[in-house]
Amino acid sequence: MAGLRRDVVAWLIVGPFAIVLAFPFYWMLVTALKTDADLYNVESIPYKFSSGSPTTNNFEFLFRDTEYGRWLVNTAIIGIAVVAITLVLAVPAGYALARLSGGVGQMLGIGIFLTYLVPPTLLFLPLSRVVSEIGLQDRLLALIVVYPSFTVPFSTWLLMGFFKTIPRELEDAALIDGASRLGALARVVFPISLPGILTVVIFSFSLVVNEFVYAITFISTSSHRTISAGVPTELIRGDVFFWGALMAAALIPSIPLALLYNLFLDRFIAGFTGGAFR
Amino acid sequence: MDDKERVQITADMDELTRRDLLRRAGLGAIVLVYGGAGVKNAVAGVPKFRHKELAGTLKIMQWSHFVPSYDKWFDNEYIKAWGEKNDTEVTVDHVNLAELPTRAASEVAAQSGHDLFQFLSPPSAYEDQVVAMNDIVQEVTRKIGKMGKVGLKSTYNPRTKKFYGFPDNYVPDPVHYRRDLWGEVGAGAPNSWEAVRQAAPKLKALGRPVGIGMSQELDSNMAMLALMQCYGGYIQNADQRVVINSKGTRQALSAMRDIYKRGMTTEVFAWTAASNNNAYIAGRLSLALNAISIARVLEGPPWVTTPQRTDLMQNTWIAPIPRGPAQRLGLEHVMGIYVIWKFSKNKQAAKRFLVDMQTRYGPHFTNSGFYNFPAWPGGVKGGFKTIRRAAAKDRFKPLGKYTILTTIAEKYTANVGHPGYSNAAIDEVFNKFLIPQMFAEVAQDKMTPDEAVRAAEREIKSIFAKWRRRKKL
Repeated sequence: MAGLRRDVVAWLIVGPFAIVLAFPFYWMLVTALKTDADLYNVESIPYKFSSGSPTTNNFEFLFRDTEYGRWLVNTAIIGIAVVAITLVLAVPAGYALARLSGGVGQMLGIGIFLTYLVPPTLLFLPLSRVVSEIGLQDRLLALIVVYPSFTVPFSTWLLMGFFKTIPRELEDAALIDGASRLGALARVVFPISLPGILTVVIFSFSLVVNEFVYAITFISTSSHRTISAGVPTELIRGDVFFWGALMAAALIPSIPLALLYNLFLDRFIAGFTGGAFR
Repeated sequence: MDDKERVQITADMDELTRRDLLRRAGLGAIVLVYGGAGVKNAVAGVPKFRHKELAGTLKIMQWSHFVPSYDKWFDNEYIKAWGEKNDTEVTVDHVNLAELPTRAASEVAAQSGHDLFQFLSPPSAYEDQVVAMNDIVQEVTRKIGKMGKVGLKSTYNPRTKKFYGFPDNYVPDPVHYRRDLWGEVGAGAPNSWEAVRQAAPKLKALGRPVGIGMSQELDSNMAMLALMQCYGGYIQNADQRVVINSKGTRQALSAMRDIYKRGMTTEVFAWTAASNNNAYIAGRLSLALNAISIARVLEGPPWVTTPQRTDLMQNTWIAPIPRGPAQRLGLEHVMGIYVIWKFSKNKQAAKRFLVDMQTRYGPHFTNSGFYNFPAWPGGVKGGFKTIRRAAAKDRFKPLGKYTILTTIAEKYTANVGHPGYSNAAIDEVFNKFLIPQMFAEVAQDKMTPDEAVRAAEREIKSIFAKWRRRKKL
């Protein structure tokens, strides 16, 4: 009985949250499946279909009349590259700040995190100059070089907290057993740190998919664009919004991301809360 | 030297020349074909355009036109034909209207980017970053006659005597209204602001309110500035002095407050540029102030890919800005202005492109669905007469509804900053949305018209003083 009551209370609390959070996805899905006439029919918004709906026309339009497929591929390429760069830089940096620098490490960690707080809307102007000087304008490489400027600081800070929760004794034991520091890292620390590393992977990839300011300013050729820049450029024309196609374009990348989050939810939470308790 | 000897020497020379020519041609071909692979910008193989060599590149940045087929025509036909004719490889990149300022700021910061950059409002603040267009303005004027007053006042700085931009088009800003609904309440047409005020409560009672934005977005800015002008209120006078604190502005504020209270809903304070389009197309509005994107979207293909909304289309009429106590005078909805950055690598081609485009603007006018009106009326052969005839013949119902568009463009359209020139101070006032904000404060009873106009005047005067200090006014 007590268990049932606990479940009911939990559902009463979680249920409304779940509905509120899932509603935008529902809205995206419904709008993506509507014809234009149905979309502007106030009688059938938001729960019903009429006037030829549901339809896959919006999805067909995306892949047939725009370079959406290309933008998906570009986003994936940039995302994978940025995640790789972030891991290569943030994992050793996070570990070093957690283990080797003591109080100075703490200060450095905070300093690195503060750089993450400088908004792209301020940074895009000086970065434009940098990108131009190194000849990367209008190339995917521009984004691959620039995005780590915000993924690395946050990931370093996150991993620093996570590494601190791993008992130093485990490494000491490995070192006594004859392992080098790198060997201890690879065989002992990293396997335990998987939730933190996974969190960095998902988080960095999400940031790349969502980023807009750099994507719109550093890339101008349509076929080089990412989803976040290509979709509003092609599907918002002045004050005319192609709502159905816009929603379809937003829905498609959100599905694998949502699945990824759900698949690794426990580890993701562990990664984020790893540094919270000592 | 006898004749026989001369013939022999000539033959030897011929033989040598042919051999030499063949050798050089072979060597040249090898250098051209294999050298091209190693050098980043080398032209390898056959020239891109038949019989001609590639003389240069021209990079253009402009907005994603609301008519997708215009972009297709411009990108795939127009620039290719022009490029072939001028030995130039032309590329066009598009960006959403709202992202143009960000993109421009980025290019200026980087000191690299496109050769031609199209703004949709006067880019006065960039005057020091752009090439003067005086020479091509004169050339075009010589060829097709005088520039229209809207273009002139949107691109010329009388203080520095510089055309900091080249106007290619302006877009008239009419009223769209539901003739069926206006007839149902016995109001006829929105000929005057007083008629709008009278009809508004009846239309709201039908569940189809009047839709005039008072938000921080383009359409609201244009609508409120136009309303002010109709009541004789202006931000500045012809001498670029701030004159907003006037009887006309206060009357306009009171009139708008009244129209809002009687016939509008609170959503107008949170509108985006697309909101009046959406609400009108959903059949929820009886009147909206907008460029003809509303009417064209209702007509469906070829303007947009969405199907025609036949019923709504047939009941939608277009009218000039309603007459006020002072006059009937609206504003351009957007002003197409190209600039050439000082860092442009191909200024000559950029200027040639603009001259050629403007002197033969007819296809731009028709392919844009009469959205782009030429900045030089003579850009379309025959001027406004031809334009009026073309607009009158539009095949979409109600037939003839676009005829009035030419009158609006010719008589009832002014530049932002009228009666003065558009300038950097006006640009800042416009982009800070101070005018719709002033109207919203009064409509929501947060300020009286007198308080609102004095608050706006303080802010606008400080903006003007700043630009005067920078010697741009």
